Amino acid sequence: MKFLIAVGSKEYSESTLRVGMQIAKSFQAAVTIVYVGPKISDFSLPHVRLAQERMEEWDFDRPGVEVLEWAFNFLAKNDYITSTTIESGFPKNTLVQTDGNRCDVYLQGTISTDVNLILRNGDIISELRDEVARGGFDVTIIGGSQKRRMAHDMIQYIDSSILIVNKYNPDKTYGLLLPVDDSRKTPQAVKYGVRVAQAFGIKVDLLTVSKTNKFGKGYRNAAKRAAKMMRRMGIEYENHFKHGDPAVVIRETAGNDHIIVMGTSTKNPIAKFFMGSKPLQVMESNPCPILIVK
Amino acid sequence: MLQHIIFWLTQKRWLLFALAVGAVLLLLPVPSSMESMQGETMTDPIKAYRTMIIVIMAIILIIFEPVPLPAVALMMLFLQVILGIDDPNGVAKSFMNDAVFFIMGSLMMAVAIVSQGLDSRLALGIIRFTGNKTWRIAFGFVGISAFLSSFIGEHTVTAMMMPVGLTLIYNTSTDRDATKNLAALILFSIAYGSAMGSIGTPSGGGRNVIMIGYWQEFGLADISYLGWMRYTYPMLLVEIPIAVAILWFTFRPKQKVLDSAVRKLKVQVARRGAMTGQNILAIIVFLIVFLGWVFLSKKMGLGIIALIGVFLYLVLGLIRWSDLNRNTNWGVILLFGAAISIGLQMKETGAALWFANSAIDIMKNLSEDISILRWLIAVLLTGVLTNLLSNSATVAVIGPIVLNMGGDPIVMGFSTAIASAFAYLTVVASPTCMIIHSSGLVQRSDFIKAGWKMFIMSIVILFIMSKFWADS
Repeated sequence: MKFLIAVGSKEYSESTLRVGMQIAKSFQAAVTIVYVGPKISDFSLPHVRLAQERMEEWDFDRPGVEVLEWAFNFLAKNDYITSTTIESGFPKNTLVQTDGNRCDVYLQGTISTDVNLILRNGDIISELRDEVARGGFDVTIIGGSQKRRMAHDMIQYIDSSILIVNKYNPDKTYGLLLPVDDSRKTPQAVKYGVRVAQAFGIKVDLLTVSKTNKFGKGYRNAAKRAAKMMRRMGIEYENHFKHGDPAVVIRETAGNDHIIVMGTSTKNPIAKFFMGSKPLQVMESNPCPILIVK
Repeated sequence: MLQHIIFWLTQKRWLLFALAVGAVLLLLPVPSSMESMQGETMTDPIKAYRTMIIVIMAIILIIFEPVPLPAVALMMLFLQVILGIDDPNGVAKSFMNDAVFFIMGSLMMAVAIVSQGLDSRLALGIIRFTGNKTWRIAFGFVGISAFLSSFIGEHTVTAMMMPVGLTLIYNTSTDRDATKNLAALILFSIAYGSAMGSIGTPSGGGRNVIMIGYWQEFGLADISYLGWMRYTYPMLLVEIPIAVAILWFTFRPKQKVLDSAVRKLKVQVARRGAMTGQNILAIIVFLIVFLGWVFLSKKMGLGIIALIGVFLYLVLGLIRWSDLNRNTNWGVILLFGAAISIGLQMKETGAALWFANSAIDIMKNLSEDISILRWLIAVLLTGVLTNLLSNSATVAVIGPIVLNMGGDPIVMGFSTAIASAFAYLTVVASPTCMIIHSSGLVQRSDFIKAGWKMFIMSIVILFIMSKFWADS
C-alpha cells in the first residue's frame, strides 16, 4: 500500500500527519509527504527559476522545504518514522528536479527509508492528481482546513481513496462510523474500516440507512457481512438500522466524535458532477475526519 | 474515462469560454461603427473585426492561462491565416522584427549575467552606499534596483538582488513574525524599484523597444537611446524617494537599524571571495553592448546589438548553451512576437483606429478636454491590462490603438510604455512580483496594500511629466 499525505502549513498539518501516519502504519504503507506551492505563471517561470537558483547558491531553501522539514522532524520526534543522521548525507537541503513542477527533497545530513518528501508547484488538484497517477497511491490524505471546494474536487477527480482530516482532536476518544449498503464499494470500505479501527483501537458503529422503513435484502446482507468481518477481526461493534435521508442520518449519528469510513459513490461521473453524491454531502456536512474508499 | 474528460473540461473551461466567445463573435455581423469607417481609414472591416476577435480570445487565454502561453502565441498566428486576415508570409514577416530580437537577446543576456553570481558585489555596493539604518537600506535597494534595471531589465535585477535582501532579512531573525514587515519592505523595494527603473532606457524592457518599433513602423518618431533617457530619467529620479516613503509608511518595520544583520552579510560576502576574471569579462561585454545601444542602435537596431552581446557571452565561454537554453523563456519570446504581429494587423486593418475612436466616444462624458481624455484612456487601459497580462504584451496590443487616438504620438507613446511598468497590484503582474512572491515571505494581499499607492503615485507623476513633454 502507498499513502500520500498533502501538507499545507505547520499550523494546520499536525493532525493530518498524526491521523495519516497512524492509519498508514496499520496498513504497513509506504508514505510520501507532498507540499504543493502556488502556481507560477508561464510568464515568470524561467525568471523565478533563475532567482531560485541564486537563492540556493546563497543556501536559502525554496518555500515549502521548511514545511516538509518540519513535517519530517515532527514524524521523527513522535516516533512515526526512524530518522538517521549520517555524515555522508547531503551537505544542505537538496532538491532534485524530476519534472517541470516536481522536486524530490532530501534533507541535510538525514535519511529515512520510511518517508519520501516531494515539493510541487501549481494547481493543487492537478498536482495531486498527477502525483497519485505517477506514484500509484492507494490513499491520499489532506487536512480539513483546506478549502471546501478542494476536498470536493479531490473526491471527484483523484484516483485513490481520500482521507480528509477534519477537526481531529488527539485528546478525544473517537468511534468509527461505517455506513454500509448494497453498493459494490461497501466491502472495500469495510476492509479499510477494520484497519482504521485497529489503528486507533476504537469501536465500530455499523450504520445501515434506508430511505423508507423497509430494509431490503441487499442492505441486510451487507450489514451482516460487515458484522461478520468485525467479529472475525475481534473488533467491538454495534449494528444500527435507521431510516431517513442518508446524509442527514449519517451526520446525526456521527456527531463530532466519529471517524467516518464509507465507500465512494458508484454514480456515473456526469451525474456526480451535476448532482453531487452521498459521500460529498456527508463530507460537506460533517465536522469529522472522513475516509472515502474508492 | 468519463471522469478524465470531465476533469479536462473543468481545467480548460476558460479555453472553452474563449473559443465560444470567438465563435459567437464570428457569427455576429460586423459592428456598424466599423462598417461606417470603410474607406480611407479602414480598407476591409471584416478583417478588422476578425483581428479584434483574435485579440479578445488571446486576452482571455493570457489572463486565465488554461493553456500554455506558447499555445496562445501559436493560436494568434494561425488564426490570422485561417480567418483570412493575412497570408502565411505576411504573418511570418510581422512576427519577427528587431523588437523580438531585442526581447530574445535581452532574456538570454539576463541568464548570462545572473549566472555570474554578481549578487555578492551588489550586496557590498548597497551596504557601502547605505550604512545600517533600515530606511537607508530600503532607499539603497530601490535606488540601485531602479538604476540597474533601467539598463538590464527588471527581472534580471530582481533575481540578483533577492538573495541579498533575503540574507539581510534572515540575518535579522529567522522568526518570520518578527521580520514580517521588514521582509515586505526589503522585497518590495527590490521589486518595485526594478519595475520603476525599467522605464529608464529602451533596454530596460522589451515594451520600450516595441514602442520605438511602432513609432518607426508608423513613421511617427525616431527616438535614440539617449533621447529616450531624456524623457524618462527625470520621472524615474522623482519616483524613487516617493516610492521609498510609500513603502516605509506602508510596512513600518520594527527594526529601525540592521546593525548585526549588515555585519553578518559583510562576513558572508567576504567568504564568497573576490571578483573573478570571468565576472569582470561579463561586465565588460555588457558595457560593450551598452555602448552599442547608445551609439549604434539607430543604424543596427537594439535587437541586433543584444544578439551580438549573447554571441560574445557564448564564444567567450561565460555561459553554456545548455544553461542559456534551459533558463530562457522561449514561450514568452513566441508570445511577444505573436502579440506584435497582431498589433501590426490592428494598425493595418484599421481595428486599432476603430477601437481608439470607440473608447473616446464611450468615455467622452468624463472630460471635455479631448487631450486629457485620450491620455487617461491610454494610461488606464495600459495600467489595468499590465496588471493582468504581461507588460510587453500589453504595449504590443495597446500601442497601435494609442498611437491612433490622435494627439502628440511622443506623449501618447511614452505614456503608454511607462504606464506598462505600473505592474504593482497583483502577483501575476510581472516576473518581478512573482519572483518576490516565490520567496514565500510576502502575501498576495501585500501587493494591493502597497501597490495601489504606487499605482496612483505613478499615474500622477506621469501626468505631470506628460504636461512637460507636451509643452517642450
